[in-house]
Amino acid sequence: MEPSVIISFVIIPLFAAFLIPLVGRLVGGFQRILTSSIMLLLLVLSVFITLQGPETITYMAGGWEPVGGVPIAIYLVLDPLSGFLLTIINLLGFMSVFYAISYMRRYTSENLFYTLVCLMVAGMNGVVLSGDLFNLYVFLEISVISSYALVAFGVGKTELEASYKYQVLGALASLLVLFGIAMIYWRTKTLNIADISVLLQHARHDTFLVFVQLILITGFGIKAALIPFHAWLPDAHSSAPSPISAMLSGVLIKAVGVYVLIRLFFNMFQLDTSLAIVFTAIGALSMIIGVVLAIGQWDLKRLLAYHSISQMGYVVTGIGMGMILLARGGDKSIAALAIGGGLFHMINHAVFKGLLFLNAGAIEYAAGTRDMKKMGGLARHMPVTLSSSFSASMAISGMPPFNGFFSKLIIIVAAIQGEFYLLAVLAVIAGIVTLASFMKFQRFAFYNKPEKEPTAREVPLAMRFSMVTLALLCLLLSLLIIPDIRQIFLEPAVNTLIETTEYATKVLKL
Amino acid sequence: METAGQIILIPVIAGLLLLALPGRSRMLKGILTLLVSALSAYWAWSIYRLEPSMIRLSGTGIPGTQYFSFALDGLSQLIVLLGGLLGLLISVYSLRGINGPERFRNFHGYFLITLGLSFGTIMADNLLLFIFLWGILALTLYKLIPQHDDESSAAAKKTLIMIGSSDGIMILGIAILYQLTGTFSMSNISVEAGSALSYVAFLALLTGSFTKAGAFPFHSWIPDYTQKAPAVSSAYLPASFDKLLGIYFLVRISHDMFIMSNIMHLLLLVAGALTIITAVMMALVQHDYKKLLGFHSVSQVGYMILGIGLGSAVGIAAGLFHMLNNAIYKSGLFLVSGNLNTLTGEKDLDRLGGLSQRMPVTFGVAIIFALSISGIPPFNGFASKWMIYQGIIDFGSGPALANHLWILWLAVAVVGSALTLASFIKFISGAFLGNLPGRMNDIKEAGADKLLPMTALALLCIVLGVFATSYFVPRLFFPVTGEFEFYGVWQSTAVSVLILFSILLGAVIYLATVPGKFRRAESFTGGEKMSADRGFPSTGFYETIRNAPVLSFMYEKAYKGWFDLYLRSKDSILWMNKGLSRYHDGVLHTYLLWIFAGLIIILLILL
Repeated sequence: MEPSVIISFVIIPLFAAFLIPLVGRLVGGFQRILTSSIMLLLLVLSVFITLQGPETITYMAGGWEPVGGVPIAIYLVLDPLSGFLLTIINLLGFMSVFYAISYMRRYTSENLFYTLVCLMVAGMNGVVLSGDLFNLYVFLEISVISSYALVAFGVGKTELEASYKYQVLGALASLLVLFGIAMIYWRTKTLNIADISVLLQHARHDTFLVFVQLILITGFGIKAALIPFHAWLPDAHSSAPSPISAMLSGVLIKAVGVYVLIRLFFNMFQLDTSLAIVFTAIGALSMIIGVVLAIGQWDLKRLLAYHSISQMGYVVTGIGMGMILLARGGDKSIAALAIGGGLFHMINHAVFKGLLFLNAGAIEYAAGTRDMKKMGGLARHMPVTLSSSFSASMAISGMPPFNGFFSKLIIIVAAIQGEFYLLAVLAVIAGIVTLASFMKFQRFAFYNKPEKEPTAREVPLAMRFSMVTLALLCLLLSLLIIPDIRQIFLEPAVNTLIETTEYATKVLKL
Repeated sequence: METAGQIILIPVIAGLLLLALPGRSRMLKGILTLLVSALSAYWAWSIYRLEPSMIRLSGTGIPGTQYFSFALDGLSQLIVLLGGLLGLLISVYSLRGINGPERFRNFHGYFLITLGLSFGTIMADNLLLFIFLWGILALTLYKLIPQHDDESSAAAKKTLIMIGSSDGIMILGIAILYQLTGTFSMSNISVEAGSALSYVAFLALLTGSFTKAGAFPFHSWIPDYTQKAPAVSSAYLPASFDKLLGIYFLVRISHDMFIMSNIMHLLLLVAGALTIITAVMMALVQHDYKKLLGFHSVSQVGYMILGIGLGSAVGIAAGLFHMLNNAIYKSGLFLVSGNLNTLTGEKDLDRLGGLSQRMPVTFGVAIIFALSISGIPPFNGFASKWMIYQGIIDFGSGPALANHLWILWLAVAVVGSALTLASFIKFISGAFLGNLPGRMNDIKEAGADKLLPMTALALLCIVLGVFATSYFVPRLFFPVTGEFEFYGVWQSTAVSVLILFSILLGAVIYLATVPGKFRRAESFTGGEKMSADRGFPSTGFYETIRNAPVLSFMYEKAYKGWFDLYLRSKDSILWMNKGLSRYHDGVLHTYLLWIFAGLIIILLILL
């Protein structure tokens, strides 16, 4: 494939963000159609690239070839892991934007909304494609700064407060990340991830590097909202307009948080056992504390937001177990199983949590409230929302035949295989509490007798389309358990992490 | 092999189709359901007749088929047969859908999906396939309660949370088994009890089986479910299919997958004894007859677990036989309760009475079911309970602690049986005897479609009881457990003839001497005025038990949910939630503090 294709993931949404305020002012409906169609285009493109097979494509911006083996251009790297993330980002992006066609009509300044969404998508696509640390930082800032604005989009009291907290803590995170990058640069005199990886190849047990990695764990941990760095998330994710909540919870915390961490830990630094244990411990803490915090919530979107923490905990635990095994030089196939479970759960979480936020938006749209105590009796009035949210609730609780069952199954089996018995038990307990809190959602939103019979009606077609498609995906992604299908979508991404040094070899074509 | 495919897929596909059909054509749905159930029953029969074999799809080259392996052995064939039979009877009863106060649109669709998946679960050999199908059954169970108010939705929620949690715990057990044996195939697993891991795996799988079948301490969803769900749903799932599945899996675990240690036997026996006694005590004081039946369907599980916990051939056969009998009379009783509920609209025994004149057939079969469940010869409940007693006595000769306690297990089983009889006297007299309330004067007996399956079940109660030792036990259970000798002398057919003879003799003596020599008198009511249409509620007699010194304390705690694992876990989780939420005060300084504390802690750990 032509390497320049990959830059389109960044260029197209950036260009759309430029056009929308200009043309959208003159042509009604331009912003909606343009955003939806470019997101669809990017989705098709990313799926197409994934189906192409596991190859690593490097694009050197400006066409500057390496000089004497030292890369000097800005690298954009598309390998299976980036491709996997791109698919998630653009899938959720398209679903949310299409949903927003109906949903956002209640808000003013739609042009600004779509501009910000395009910028956020461009930033996230850039983060997962970027091959050097500084650009990674720039793209990260593009996406999170537009997300600050999107959280505040309702410009009410709570939205502004949430956005303010998010900005303060987000800025702290960015500061830590920049600090970490600067220290790496100080040490290696380069910013190219592949180049750094080569230079650090023999630097085991280096206190300086451990310090840098801890700074990065904290920085990206804030972005990924891992406990104890999670405090901004429940406010921010529940205050944003629902399609944005879906994107923030569904992809942003993955793309700019967990993805970067695992990319750097596996492919740039040398794996270190104690660091891997810290990473896994943070994941396990998030998994269990997140869900305990979630179950007491009565604000539907807050409940979902806390569950994002817990579910990201599953992802991090899964990948962290693989990291520990690899660092110890343990069985690679078990490590692959654990990491595969984590990545599988990542895409599953994107789908079902995105769907749940869209459901929450639909309920808010129809019934006008987010408080579960005030809902009730919606089952008869909103059949599509009911059945799609039931699918998503069962998926997140890990009930078969939905996708969450399989990823949790893999994570638990891998935990037992790797002899992390405590983690397996914690994963089961977190799953049980998740089930309980989603049964609470189902019961109070749809079945309880409300004080007065609701007047809600089912939501418009565009919103229903997104919800139904995602609900079907909750079922279809279960197929990833089948080895032949897993080989196409999941294994290449897992292999980029398992073969830690391959990344540098492939990017620099050594 | 084709039959095995058909019996799983055709009901599931038909069920999905019925879900897609609009709600109005209820009669059509009923007929389709009946047809598919009849076909399934036929297929179940042909599967029963097959030679034991393994079915693997892995050779076909379709991706993902390596997980699809099914085992047809004596046990699974027997359970499939029973499932086919019960499914057919219940589908006859629900031919016209669920009307009256429990109106429910999608019943038939979920009924068929459950049917097909249950067959799949029973035949599955691969543990992953097994847990997959088993887990979906939790969802259909949830969908079979129509949730139209606060209480029914609470019951549905509790049901799915408990069953779903046990599924999660079972995954843990399956993963450990895989770690220990390196295979997911049930027929290749045989784990020696010994290491801590093997005990954890055993307990985890046991949790799944106990929750499904409804044994102490995982039983608390059943009374709530039966109270709120339509009677047919209760007859279908908690009364028959969930027992089939749960007990089937219990036998698989304890008979095939684990080589049981003495501690495991003791554990099962304690669980069985506790289940019998706690549930029957709760049943004694119920006023809502559906909840009463719910507690009994918990209590009966105790007998099955006692039997299987013995570990001997006669014990396992007794446990399975009791499961079969329980499925028959308990679903019969739920169908009786369904008739009562649809015809009278009442749920409380205190508000019923005298219905024997209005519903003679229902009354007749209800008596047979009640006698069966209380273990009165010659009905089937007695036959299996007697086998359990025989097994326990036999078991007493062993060397371990559990063996020495045999008299305790026997006592609990016998006392439980007596208490069951006591509470069914209440049920029968409360609903059918006494004075008919005036507002129920125009109640008519239910239609033939309702009475037919109930009569068939009642006949089965008699036939299985009368021909227990001479035909059914050797025929049905010897292929599963191997042949065994009965301890002591018990010829069910001969005894039945004797019983019949003595009843006849008694009747002759009565007719010859007594008629004409009695007088009618007002019954003594302790000087109280009797209200014209109420009579004295039979439940009143049981207040004594409730107010007895120690028991009143226990009942008070039970009503507060002290013994309900669900409520206790819920409280502790919410307590933890409160504790953690206190530190989420929304103040930015606190949040910053956490971040720095987290950073400093990991720095201290690693540097």
